[in-house]
Amino acid sequence: MLKSLRDISVAGVAATLLAGTALANPYAEYEGTTVIVNFPAHPHYDAVMRVLPEFTKETGIEVEVDQLPYLKMRERQTLELAQEEGEYDLISYVVFSKADYVFADQLENLAKFFMNPKLADPSYDADDLIDGYVQNIGVAGGTKGYLPGPTGSLFGIPFGSETSVLAYRKDIFEKHGIAEPETYAQLLDAACKIPELEPGMGGMASRAASGHQASHAFLLHLAPLGGRVFDDKWNPIINNAAGVEAANALKTIVDCGPEGAMSFGPSEAANAFANGDAAMFMDSIAFMPGFENPDRSKVVGKVGYAMHPEGVRRGSQTGGFGIAIPKNAENKEAAFLLMQWLTSKKGDLMVAMEGGNPSRFSTYQDAGLNEKYPFSATFGEALKYADPDWRPIIPVWGKINADIGTTMSKVLTEDLDIQQALDGVAERTRAVMDEAGYYTWQ
Amino acid sequence: MSIARVNRLSPYMFMAPAVVIMAIALIYPLGYMIWGSFRDWAPSQTIGEAEFVGLKNYITLWNDPNFHESLTVTLKFAFFVVSIEMVIGVGLALLLDRDIRGMSMLRTMLILPMMIAPVVVGLMWRYMYHPTVGTFNRTLDSLGLPRVDWLGDHALMSVIIADIWQWTPFIFILSLAALQSLPRSALEAARIDGATAWQQIIYIKLPLMMPVLIVTCLLRLIDAFKVLEVILVLTEGGPGLSTEILALRISRTATEFRELGVAAAMSNYLLLLLMLLTVGMFAFTRWQEARAARIRALAEEDS
Amino acid sequence: MQTQRGNAAFYAVICVMVFMSIGPVLLMLVNSFKLDVDIISGTSGLLFLPTIQNYETALCDVLWYEPEHLDFCSLKFGGAFVNSIIIALVSTILTLVIGSMAAYALVRFRFMGRDTVSISTLMVRMVPPAVLLVPVFGLWNNEFCLDRDGLIGGLIRDTFGGRGDVCLAGTHSGIILIYVAMNLPFVIWILQSFIVQVPRSLEEAARVDGAGPFQVFFLVVLPLIKPGLAAAAIFTFRIAWNEYLLASALSDRNTKTVPILIVNNMSEFNVEWGVIMATGMLLAIPPIIFTLLASRQIITGMTAGAVKG
Repeated sequence: MLKSLRDISVAGVAATLLAGTALANPYAEYEGTTVIVNFPAHPHYDAVMRVLPEFTKETGIEVEVDQLPYLKMRERQTLELAQEEGEYDLISYVVFSKADYVFADQLENLAKFFMNPKLADPSYDADDLIDGYVQNIGVAGGTKGYLPGPTGSLFGIPFGSETSVLAYRKDIFEKHGIAEPETYAQLLDAACKIPELEPGMGGMASRAASGHQASHAFLLHLAPLGGRVFDDKWNPIINNAAGVEAANALKTIVDCGPEGAMSFGPSEAANAFANGDAAMFMDSIAFMPGFENPDRSKVVGKVGYAMHPEGVRRGSQTGGFGIAIPKNAENKEAAFLLMQWLTSKKGDLMVAMEGGNPSRFSTYQDAGLNEKYPFSATFGEALKYADPDWRPIIPVWGKINADIGTTMSKVLTEDLDIQQALDGVAERTRAVMDEAGYYTWQ
Repeated sequence: MSIARVNRLSPYMFMAPAVVIMAIALIYPLGYMIWGSFRDWAPSQTIGEAEFVGLKNYITLWNDPNFHESLTVTLKFAFFVVSIEMVIGVGLALLLDRDIRGMSMLRTMLILPMMIAPVVVGLMWRYMYHPTVGTFNRTLDSLGLPRVDWLGDHALMSVIIADIWQWTPFIFILSLAALQSLPRSALEAARIDGATAWQQIIYIKLPLMMPVLIVTCLLRLIDAFKVLEVILVLTEGGPGLSTEILALRISRTATEFRELGVAAAMSNYLLLLLMLLTVGMFAFTRWQEARAARIRALAEEDS
Repeated sequence: MQTQRGNAAFYAVICVMVFMSIGPVLLMLVNSFKLDVDIISGTSGLLFLPTIQNYETALCDVLWYEPEHLDFCSLKFGGAFVNSIIIALVSTILTLVIGSMAAYALVRFRFMGRDTVSISTLMVRMVPPAVLLVPVFGLWNNEFCLDRDGLIGGLIRDTFGGRGDVCLAGTHSGIILIYVAMNLPFVIWILQSFIVQVPRSLEEAARVDGAGPFQVFFLVVLPLIKPGLAAAAIFTFRIAWNEYLLASALSDRNTKTVPILIVNNMSEFNVEWGVIMATGMLLAIPPIIFTLLASRQIITGMTAGAVKG
């Protein structure tokens, strides 16, 4: 009886204290607000889902999440952002959507939030954010419109950003005395040697399904092999020697890959590797924590992680997601607070510990994280070579991407002549670019 | 209001809701689509804001190799699906046309696939076709046969098989119903004349079933152009464009490439194609009937 | 002897047919009770420990307890299931009422010849849902809207909340409207052949007793065409329950139906076969029950469509 009385009085005192300090709590004004966010179904955001209750507990801001597969998410957002008043307060966007949304003036410039002393957290430490990601994912309006440059400004913050690394089976490679592939020649050599040495096992599991996936896989090899989609004057050069070499590399990998490789999306490819059907897997770091999870992987502890092999240069992909506030959102301030909380040092580390991809240098240096996920060091190293220009993020990219993807898929399945196929892509791309006005200034 | 007036108005009152709904939700949208197909139209625009571009969308499509390929795939899919299903369905009906116990039970089992959502059919088959964990490749493995890359090299075939699984029972049940309603006297007479089973089928049963078979075939043909979900779940149109039927391409053009005008033009091409096919089939049956009547008349004159 | 062997072959064919048509469904049922590990590792057959974990994952938003194996509930299947039920039931009922009235008018008051009706039905049936995608998307999102500041629009916004103008897209009514329109021609066509068989004398008798045209229709005619209504109801329900494309273009996050959820759940990062099979099974259960209970009506509906048409 006495004890409960005391509890009540303590609670009462606490309540008065809280009320007294309400002005000092930046979240107080938004307590009880529900922020509606649109996230992709993706390992990083699954980790975020596990962390979100902590945010609500700490700030009193409720979060309602609409999780969609990322290509669906993009379709949904196209529609939502065009409305006068949209449903979402905070969206996660695929990096190549940046161009569309900023071009159509649908995202808030973040400057006004970071200038607002009531909202911006002084201990945020933006210098700690991985610069390559910020430039690639968050900044728009610089060089060529999508690369960093003095005219750019910040529209989003990288969250769930990725680069590519190579996962390989240490046990298999040691058994046959194959060295960790450091160059493309070694990689392709190993990819086709393994099916001979280990019957039933494919060399490398890769995305290859028609459309976005095949295009992604092709571009992944294009940058390190020295190719680009466009030259500096927006002329398509996808059909030069480097382009042909990249397409050849992809074809070799798929031909020597596991059963059914031609229709693999990223999850099928990752599953094939986790299931022991392939000896290598080169894709986003987002998949890697899954290989160390005994519930879904048969290769726990047998996987080595290496940097994306070198062609004529090092160039791993930069991709993944950023988070931004739509122009037509209702609770922009509360959304900013959530955004800031998630990408703060504390939030980033919490998400990373649950299996997400860090966006901060300090997170990669965290001892606890390195202990839990031993590959973190390699990832940190790989980031140094992340290539922000491996894929042009321009408003008409969606169309060109689809064309590359379909053509690549035809190369893989129908034995189309590679040079001819790429010439076709270049020609159609030129027409698209011409119509969009990219040659106006020449 | 007098009773007589209510009576006079009542037919219109009975018709009104249906007419209003069809006008708002079917006729108007179709007109809207035709109007939109002449415009350069993005999903974020209202149709009024979209720029009028005349026949540009139609011409672009006419010269677009991807559209041609998709059209070919659609026609191939429809042709194989309908003809294989007709052969198997009618064949089974002829084979099983006798009184057996449990026939109603059998029918119940057979209509099950048709009732299940295409999305679910797609995912069942996607699992069975899976390169490593799928039922088919596992079975092949255990028989010591090489695996087949169902959804890669043979995607169109795999998609066709799934559709055949779902819709052959439809043709089977309709043909069986038609067979069992045939005049017994004609069959009796043939049997007494000593016609073999084959002769009975070819000269009596099939010609008598013809009207039903043609309608069935037409219904299946129309439905074959509507298939979308099964393919979407199975292959998403890939690899390449090898399974991208027109319906799927329309939906991709609208949602992925965000070109509503082009999608509308494509929809119109598809509608035109279907119209041509339907009218063609009607004309063909009329011509057939006319020819049959002429032959019969000639035969009667001879005798 | 000959006939005996014939009979054996005959029953063998039947067995194979039954096995082929229900085999995949059974396979899905079995897999929905397996853990992913069991599905992938291929310890095939029936030797596995059945688990309801997949169903728990699917239904996590309507369960009264929190399943232990889940960290968070991402798959809001329960909500989608409720949406599917609302949309399918309401559109079925509306289609039947409106369709039977129209069919009655067409038969009794001789609006058009039956040939005209048959041909126009066929024409409308010809239109693939994909063709309706573009116009329906545009109209429902942009044209069929009430201004938020207007009288009714403001009232709706005040009562139900939400943002922006009040549009048909994203509401249950929007999806229901297009389903009713899509199904009406077929329902009218089927019901006509049943209404023709209703003896006129019954209606005359009712009218002599002082019943108005609507009373005659609802109290005399409708009860007599119950088998036709049942057949039409099942077909309408089936389409409304199973449709994916138009629903995916028109629904928002609160009005998603089950097929959309299933397609979305075939996400690229994590193919969870067990859960997908469980959701598929849940979607398939209502049609399966209808099939088992009312296969006669379904076959009537199917054959009425082709044989009598």
